[in-house]
Amino acid sequence: MDLTTAIEMDSKKLLNLALQQGGDYADLYMQQTTFHSIVLRDGEVNAASTHNEGGLGIRVVSGQNTGYAYTESTLPRDREEAARTASYIAQGLIRRTKPAPIATLNLPDRYRIVRPWEGFSPQEKMPFLYDLNERIFSADKRVEKVTAQLSDATSHIECYNSLGIHCSDIRPMASLSVTCVMESGGQRESASASRSFRMGGEFLHSAMIRELAQEVLDRTSFLFGAKQPNGGEMPVVMAAGGSGILLHEAIGHAFEADFARKKVSIFSDKMGQRICNPGITVIDDGTIPCNRGALNVDDEGVPGQKTYMVTDGILTSFLHDRISAGYFHTEPTGNGRRESFRCMPLPRMRATYMDNGRDTEEALIASVKKGLYVDTFSNGQVQIGAGDFTFYVKSGYLIENGKLTQPIKDTNIIGNGPEALARITGVANNCIIDNGTWTCGKGQTCAVSCGMPSVLVASLTVGGRV
Amino acid sequence: MCSYALEMSLKKGATHARVAATSNNANGMSVLNDSLETIEKAVDSSLTLHLFVEGRYGTCSTNKVDPSGLDKLLDDAIASVKLLAPDPFRKLVPKELRYEGPPLYSAHSGSVDTGVKKAFLLDCACAIWNKEPALISVMADYSDHRQWLHLADSDGLHCTSEETWYNYSVECTVRGKGDARPSDWDFQGGIHPWDIGIGSGLPCTCAATALERALAKRNPRKIVSGRYRVIVENRVAATLLAPLIDAMSGSSLQQQNSFLLDKLGENIASSVLTLIDDPRRKGTPGCRFFDSEGLATAKRAVIEAGRLNMYFLSTYYAEKMQMHPTISSPSLLLLKEGKGNAATLAGLIKNGIFVTGFNGGNCNTTTGDFSYGIEGFYVEHGQITYPINEMVMTGNMLDLWSRLLAAGDDALKTMSWQTPSLLFDDIEFSGL
Repeated sequence: MDLTTAIEMDSKKLLNLALQQGGDYADLYMQQTTFHSIVLRDGEVNAASTHNEGGLGIRVVSGQNTGYAYTESTLPRDREEAARTASYIAQGLIRRTKPAPIATLNLPDRYRIVRPWEGFSPQEKMPFLYDLNERIFSADKRVEKVTAQLSDATSHIECYNSLGIHCSDIRPMASLSVTCVMESGGQRESASASRSFRMGGEFLHSAMIRELAQEVLDRTSFLFGAKQPNGGEMPVVMAAGGSGILLHEAIGHAFEADFARKKVSIFSDKMGQRICNPGITVIDDGTIPCNRGALNVDDEGVPGQKTYMVTDGILTSFLHDRISAGYFHTEPTGNGRRESFRCMPLPRMRATYMDNGRDTEEALIASVKKGLYVDTFSNGQVQIGAGDFTFYVKSGYLIENGKLTQPIKDTNIIGNGPEALARITGVANNCIIDNGTWTCGKGQTCAVSCGMPSVLVASLTVGGRV
Repeated sequence: MCSYALEMSLKKGATHARVAATSNNANGMSVLNDSLETIEKAVDSSLTLHLFVEGRYGTCSTNKVDPSGLDKLLDDAIASVKLLAPDPFRKLVPKELRYEGPPLYSAHSGSVDTGVKKAFLLDCACAIWNKEPALISVMADYSDHRQWLHLADSDGLHCTSEETWYNYSVECTVRGKGDARPSDWDFQGGIHPWDIGIGSGLPCTCAATALERALAKRNPRKIVSGRYRVIVENRVAATLLAPLIDAMSGSSLQQQNSFLLDKLGENIASSVLTLIDDPRRKGTPGCRFFDSEGLATAKRAVIEAGRLNMYFLSTYYAEKMQMHPTISSPSLLLLKEGKGNAATLAGLIKNGIFVTGFNGGNCNTTTGDFSYGIEGFYVEHGQITYPINEMVMTGNMLDLWSRLLAAGDDALKTMSWQTPSLLFDDIEFSGL
């Protein structure tokens, strides 16, 4: 018997065990991942790490309830025990489901690996970090420290479920982050820059190193003349790219359908209603080739896809996993994701962005008498039920009489999701997807990305001096 | 397995090695409203090797704790490490600084039956479900874990710990004004199941507290920007402590990326601030006898009456900075208590803010500048009044802590960073 047949027979047995006490659905999620990273610090690449892990997660769903267990063991008895544990959620129920015959999904290949990371030695990677270090130090005498980290991961995924779906996926992820510290006249400033793509070793190329070096130099240098702004309510122009964090925090989480299902999201009862001005379309997309949020298939065996959450100002879709899709009598949207085999899947974002509008960024800035322009960010958060979201601004400018004036830094901006959406009064035609190392938490981490055209929000509360 | 791993590391070319082996057994359960929602079980293990190879350093780790998998992993890892630049500052923990003593056993000896957990959670949630018209949902979560850790190195280090932790939390969501659905939570934790109420015979109060807190948040307002006296509630005050701790870490200091650089021995806060790291208090969260490289923990005054007494330095960063190692990170942090609780401290405020939650924000570790979203209550003439939200607290960490006026005596003993409610003077808030 070949390995594929053996795994398939084993999967049928496990699915049957998982459903032996009842339940509507069961799935098996097998994952094997290898991680590598190397670090440059104080001019030397002198630290490296390798990690490999694998395991099997078994889930049983009964209505909206979930039983979940995982094992790292390949022994049949341990896997069967995990299946029995997961089956406990359906204990005492009458409803019984039998696994359907298995058929393998045909999937697109949105992140074909050209050069596998396996076999890409530190010796080949190190020159890129040394080049990055040298470019930064040689460009500006104020540079004191540079730290850079190159990480790569390759995950092999196999899913089987009781609907008869089998799928497999090979998912690469590469990230390069750099931090620069400068000192001038007793003042110290630091900034970071990063890139991340679902790619193999082809991720590394000189053009990216040049770009990253210049970006971190520009960001750090900018901060010497910047100060925390005066605080209060004011119009804010958000630059294209990383401003997508506004979408991620203000509405993305609130549209994750598990919150809507439990009625704890401020948008729970808003499906089909107008939630912002016409012309605004917001998308969550798993189909962008090599993007950090790209998926050929999600972690429940649903093909990766593009989901229009807001279409021309109307709320048109939540982000569904299989459980919420069943609850809302709709199709799953390919948003069932998990950090690893250790976690049950939840509705999670992928690449979240807004479609282009018709304005120009220059026109948006020129329309503001007194406000803020913000362009780099580090993190955000949201209170799902209250709708209050925040994002932290690392740099930007004051806008005075339609012009960018004093550089600003280190301010947290806060708003209310529904109100902020309604106050988007201008959308430019320059959408950029930010390719930094965005990571979303929700009790378990997921790689995501975000993007926006430049937008004008008529009023947000800016943290600052009073 | 640890002995095997060390032996193989040396055979395959490592000069020295350190291994950390862990084994975890965790269970989780949640109830939504009046029915069971999720059950989870996890059993996992890991092996991490720190390899010192001809003056070079690297790590490798796996959850496949078996000899055949480890052999290949070591071969690949050691081959990779040999390609790196040397790092003369990487060493094993010196014998005179490492932990040598009995294992830490801070664990419950039994386990809790699944049926008992389910009944406990349902009792807690159903105590309030359908009892309050504004209540939309009750989410009650239970978790327990048992972790075993063994640390050893090729120089004879051997440290072991075994710990359990039981946790129970409840989050309530209520109908607010318009579409708003404010929520709040409460929790209990401890080493034994009776610490969270299982088998204790005592009623669990988390659900009622979570509901009361959520109801109190309805119809919040934003108030005028200004400088206010502020109380930061005990259970969120650690958010303001974290940037200080980050700035004390060797990795930040050595990279010139800390607003506490060159401030050892200086006053960095008001005399009200005394912070003790007390790792050896058995039975408390955060108790540990050794850190991740085997350095022995000890009770230390981190900040004493506002004076910065120490940095958190592993052996690596201590070597790089030519200083004496202390410990890589805090264990059980205790902020010296004063008197009273948030309500008492409110009595010292004419017009101010009581912060009960932070919403995002960050602190620049290089400069100490910070900005945090907040929610809480307005304090007027000594009384905690209506809820406020959608405001931002901004400033600089050194300035903030110099304005610490008073600390309460209400630190939560179930946390590893135990901060009482704190009163600060004249802090900037942005709002209307």
